[in-house]
Amino acid sequence: MGSVITDQEFQLLRDYIEKHCGISLDRNKMYLIESRLNTLMIENGCENYNALYRKASSDTTNGLRDKIIDAMTTNETLWFRDNGPYNSLRDLLSVYSSEFRSGKRAKLRIWSSACSSGQEPYSIAITILESGIRPEQVEIIATDISSTVLFMAKLARYDAIAINRGLSPEMRDRYFTSEGRVWKLADKVKQMVTLKKMNLQESFASIGKCDIVFCRNVLIYFSEAFKRDIFSRLAALLRPSGYLFIGASESLSTYSNEYSMVKGSHGIYYQVK
Amino acid sequence: MEFIIRSSKESVVKILTVDDSKSVRHMIGMTVELLGYEVLEAENGVEGLMVLEEHAKDVVMILLDWNMPEMDGLTFLKKVKADDRFKHIPVTMVTTETERVKMIEAIRCGAKTYVAKPFSQEMLVAKISECLGMGF
Repeated sequence: MGSVITDQEFQLLRDYIEKHCGISLDRNKMYLIESRLNTLMIENGCENYNALYRKASSDTTNGLRDKIIDAMTTNETLWFRDNGPYNSLRDLLSVYSSEFRSGKRAKLRIWSSACSSGQEPYSIAITILESGIRPEQVEIIATDISSTVLFMAKLARYDAIAINRGLSPEMRDRYFTSEGRVWKLADKVKQMVTLKKMNLQESFASIGKCDIVFCRNVLIYFSEAFKRDIFSRLAALLRPSGYLFIGASESLSTYSNEYSMVKGSHGIYYQVK
Repeated sequence: MEFIIRSSKESVVKILTVDDSKSVRHMIGMTVELLGYEVLEAENGVEGLMVLEEHAKDVVMILLDWNMPEMDGLTFLKKVKADDRFKHIPVTMVTTETERVKMIEAIRCGAKTYVAKPFSQEMLVAKISECLGMGF
């Protein structure tokens, strides 16, 4: 059995984790800290969780902090998750396509704000390629707080389990090549996405104005105050009439009145007022 | 004895997984290949040492289970760290043994990092990239 975390240690680490990545943990998640940070504690020669907290707090390289964040973040992801948002995106792309043709638009900018191992931004890129919009007309920025998942997204290589989660065989064969047991994403898709490490608690200034933001299945881990803050800053980041996609089980109404709900034929998304 | 070497054409360096569970070796092998490395598989410490004898110059990391027949992971670890030909190779324990004293023992015997089973692919990637200095 691993080391048992005390109430005081839980509070220290809970506050530390919330401060550095926004994840808000209830007392019933004590086991999560215990199980996920146990090995880090031993590897770093710490006697207990208190010592791990002190070591992380005094580590000026932030190496240990990043490992703690990496261990505490959840990276459930799949291709074209829930389908609806990507069908809605396809509808929006047909409008943007007309704007490109008429010269009203020069660029389309999309931000995948918690991109995990790449499935979300690459699904967006594939949807764009399928729409006929040219890759050079689009900029997709993909960010995540975890260096590990960004590394995986950068590799853009997926195993049989990951590749089959949400991707049809036709799409797989069109955009991936197999290399032994690994499926490798086509360069033309990979090149459409710019990966960056980013903590959503920090300023969005480096992202620039966007037409569409995907912020899906990430806010569920955050406190109410942090959700309000993020939705407000996203509203400021979106171009006039820009769109926001959130997770199927997430709701915006209690956190912001800066968006209008769009009841599309493929599901709900939001437009900044 | 024949050992399993799964390889992708471009890879040149190898990661050795020593584990008596075929399904664990399979999952580790998939992850290793994602990272562009070849995987060498051994079912226990005895086989692991034999693989090292043959491939030591190409092996950049060892992923090691603890409880195995013939020779357990800790014994294997001690032998690897006592052998000048192998001791530079970083070892990550991948095991269900999460008792504090055992984990400390493994680290003291030379294991660089530790992964508790069950593990996610991200967790394994994090440890491998840490050991090999890769990353985003």
